[in-house]
Amino acid sequence: MTGTLMVDARDIEKRVTTAEGELQILHRVSLSVADGESLAITGPSGSGKSTLLGILAGLDTPTSGSVALAGRELTTLDEEGRAKVRADHVGFIFQSFQLLPGLSALENVMLPLELRGVSGARERAREFLARVGLSERLSHYPPQLSGGEQQRVAIARAFASQPRVLFADEPTGNLDTVTGAKIIDLLFELNREQGTTLLLITHEERLAERCGRRVELTAGELQGA
Amino acid sequence: MLALRLLWRNWRSGELKLLGLALVIAVGVVGAIALFTDRLERSLIQESNALLGADRVVRSSRPINPDWFPEAEARGLQQSQAVTFSSMVFAGEEMYLAGIKAVDERYPLRGNLVVNERAFAADGNVVAEGVPAPGEAWVDGRLLPLLDIALGDTVGVGEYELTVTRILVREPDGGNPFNAMGARLLMNLEDLERTEVIQPGSRVTYQWLLAADSDTVLRQGVEWLEEALGEHERIIDLRTAQQGLTNTLDTGQRFLLLAAVIGVLLAGVAIALSARQFAERHEDQVALMKSLGAGAGQVRRLYLTQLLVLATGASLIGLVLAEIAQRAIAWGIQSGFEVQLLAPGFYPYVFSLLTGVIALVCFALPALWFLPGVPPLKVLRRELEPNRLEASWQLFFAALAVVVLVALFSRDLALALSVLAALLVVLLITLGLALALLSLSRRIGASAGSIWRLAVASLQRRRAESLIQIAVFSVALMLLFTLLVVRTSMVAEWQATLPEGAPNHFLVNIPEHQVAPIQRLLDDENIERQPLYPMVRGRLTEINDNNARELDLEHNTLRREINLTWTDSLAEDNEIIEGLWWDDWQRSDADLPGVSVELDAATGLGLALGDRLRFSVGGLELRAEVASIRTLDWNSMRPNFYFIFEPGALDEFSPTYITSMYLPAEDKPFLNQLLRQYPTILVMELDRIIEQVQRVITQVSNAVQLVLWMTLFGGVLVLFAAVNGSLAARRQESALLRALGSRRQLILGSVFYEFAILGVLAGVIAIVGAEVLLMGLQLFVLEIPVRPHYWLWIAGPLAGAALVSGLGVAGCRSVVTTPPGKVLRELA
Repeated sequence: MTGTLMVDARDIEKRVTTAEGELQILHRVSLSVADGESLAITGPSGSGKSTLLGILAGLDTPTSGSVALAGRELTTLDEEGRAKVRADHVGFIFQSFQLLPGLSALENVMLPLELRGVSGARERAREFLARVGLSERLSHYPPQLSGGEQQRVAIARAFASQPRVLFADEPTGNLDTVTGAKIIDLLFELNREQGTTLLLITHEERLAERCGRRVELTAGELQGA
Repeated sequence: MLALRLLWRNWRSGELKLLGLALVIAVGVVGAIALFTDRLERSLIQESNALLGADRVVRSSRPINPDWFPEAEARGLQQSQAVTFSSMVFAGEEMYLAGIKAVDERYPLRGNLVVNERAFAADGNVVAEGVPAPGEAWVDGRLLPLLDIALGDTVGVGEYELTVTRILVREPDGGNPFNAMGARLLMNLEDLERTEVIQPGSRVTYQWLLAADSDTVLRQGVEWLEEALGEHERIIDLRTAQQGLTNTLDTGQRFLLLAAVIGVLLAGVAIALSARQFAERHEDQVALMKSLGAGAGQVRRLYLTQLLVLATGASLIGLVLAEIAQRAIAWGIQSGFEVQLLAPGFYPYVFSLLTGVIALVCFALPALWFLPGVPPLKVLRRELEPNRLEASWQLFFAALAVVVLVALFSRDLALALSVLAALLVVLLITLGLALALLSLSRRIGASAGSIWRLAVASLQRRRAESLIQIAVFSVALMLLFTLLVVRTSMVAEWQATLPEGAPNHFLVNIPEHQVAPIQRLLDDENIERQPLYPMVRGRLTEINDNNARELDLEHNTLRREINLTWTDSLAEDNEIIEGLWWDDWQRSDADLPGVSVELDAATGLGLALGDRLRFSVGGLELRAEVASIRTLDWNSMRPNFYFIFEPGALDEFSPTYITSMYLPAEDKPFLNQLLRQYPTILVMELDRIIEQVQRVITQVSNAVQLVLWMTLFGGVLVLFAAVNGSLAARRQESALLRALGSRRQLILGSVFYEFAILGVLAGVIAIVGAEVLLMGLQLFVLEIPVRPHYWLWIAGPLAGAALVSGLGVAGCRSVVTTPPGKVLRELA
């Protein structure tokens, strides 16, 4: 492990109440990710991967335990505080791309920059779309783009705001093998260039292999951390 | 600014278009109604003030204090003076007691003098420029045969000779029945002194006519006058001068108000529906923005700014549309009825602009309120449901909007609340009925053909949505039916107010010995007439031995001499509501004659059965006991009385007799014959007033009609918004069916039946609702008799089915014309 810790989670538990009674999704999960490290969280469906990612990224709160992200203790912050941390440090890539259908590719990439009030959003968005090879598709809308192209727009959007940590939820889950491979290459290339900390969920072996470290989540418990 | 960029992007992607359109229509419809009714109201007031000759008239038995003129001038009031009195007019051997009116150059301030070069001519009437020049007189056509003169001859008024130059056909305030004094002679005020007619003790009425261009100036002027006037002066406005007409105007205005309320409601429903669709589409967007680091506060600010900008923009566009619409309507009315509508005031513009903002805040905001609270985790777990504002709160805000808008619009809270209460009741009935009817249609659908089954299945699958749609359709149809029915019965009611053959002439001052011959003369000529009533003029002086003037009472029977009569048979529009009529009534121990009191007077004077009244009749005393209380119809154009005594009670006061009759225009020369034979009786010609009243009624009716159409358009928009709401899901489903090889007819057919079922159900519920609402409105707000509406029960469901299915098919047509692959891909 090198440098300072970008993510530091201790004894995270997550319980939810369902119609059938209380359900424990995460059991005392502790996990640290150093600045610049890349980590794959693997595990079967329903093992709690997405819940863990949500908590580590500050989208959700644990029932007990503590999470520090970029040195800020998330569990002591309210939603506005966590939003600030996300705005300053976090980027996302989703399985379903999460592009806004009414916005062009360029506008989708500009959106996080605009929300942060970054000046020169348009130029930077253009630049990152060029980096993912979509210079010719700036004014296209998501429904007019292929799945691979949509995920490239999402990658451009994630990196354009130059986050210190990037969370990716099954980034190749909705793509065919060939396209998926290209997306993986692109993701790691940008990650290396930017020195971003990468935390991704996958059950794709070749994606997990590219990461510096991997852990497996089974029934809410962490193996090989 | 980010919010503006987002607004533009949302607009471009079509997500705001329906919301924007609904707002534009809301402001447009409300604005057009507000502007138009404002113009109409101003014009009608002016038109009606033309009946008065001014906005206000100060009437006095003494000359108006000249110190007031400069003060009125300084306050921005226009003024004119008129002096009226009865005087003998001479021409050679002939003489006649004419009603003389001397006016200054500015007379009249409202309305016109209409003159002709010939007497009793059917054409050639022109609006006079100015008034008779000094030395000239304009006279009522009847005066020519009465005095045996022609135009150009001279007549003597007191010590002065005037040349008769024109026939006076119409004067603005010529119709106040109980002030009319025979045929009119109009002369210049400058000549008045030269006639030397007015001596101390003469019975003269001085009129000071006032008008102002702005309501504020007028109101402040009236307030000042009320302070300044003494006990001899009285301010007359239209309300006191023309009770019947005022009632018509009030009802007309209330209807327009009701139409506007309904317009606001319809637009509000459309806004709420489209806001709901907008919110649903934006859940994911907000979750994404929040995952990207936007806080709830930032999201709220972004959306609020977008909405406010949208509201402002839409309101401005709506206002432009409203202006165009009201101009078009006004143009139609002006060219059709040869009336001049006044420009609208400032308030309706401000109000229309506010409408957009208020409608958005109260109808749309509740549906959008949860958006900033959408959890960011939704980007990972789409099944998460945000905390929406409870439906009851959404209803509360919608209700609040209705009350605020209606109160702003009408400044009539009672109307707002009654509509609201009726709506809530109706909404509850709607929900219960909709649930029951929907389950009934399932049972029918199970045994039907494939198109029907598909339609019913679709309804069942979208059960919640179908219910909302039924509720929305029902409310929209209910409001439209209500408006339609109210309009119909109101116009019928107005037409019934002044039926063909309503009495249009009054004969007064008939001495007792002429009663029988005049009755005979009228009957020989087959003239429709009312009975002849004896009449004396008296003043109410004491109630139960207390001085009436010292009692703290407010009624116009206390302010002036009133007409008293006796009769043994009750006129048909009179109805005893308390006490007994003479046949059954017995004098009490006090042995006073009985008197029957009109309800309004009894209420104003606080009278009850058995109360003792004392009247002063020409210095003599008349005592009576209240025997009964009556209602009557002041609009009936028959002789009507506040106080009717038992037969014989007035015999010792030498009464004169009064009656009314109907004289068609072609029989008017009969008046000459009548007056030659009985020169002392007075004829009051109400036919001109009636004609004016009917003109006003026609105008209001037509305005009401147009407003109805505009509101109908708002209703169609609501239906469209509701259909549109389910379109996305329907497009996907239809595309899927198309991809699987369904024929176009099957898809459109099932859509048609689905919406037709919704339409019929909504139509039925709407009728139940409309009947409830109508009963409330007719009983409490408009006071129009409740009539059954059988046609509605057949037309309602049919209209509902036709409207809703038509809109549904129109909305879904694009699905079957676009290749299914494209639709599915765009929706993916």
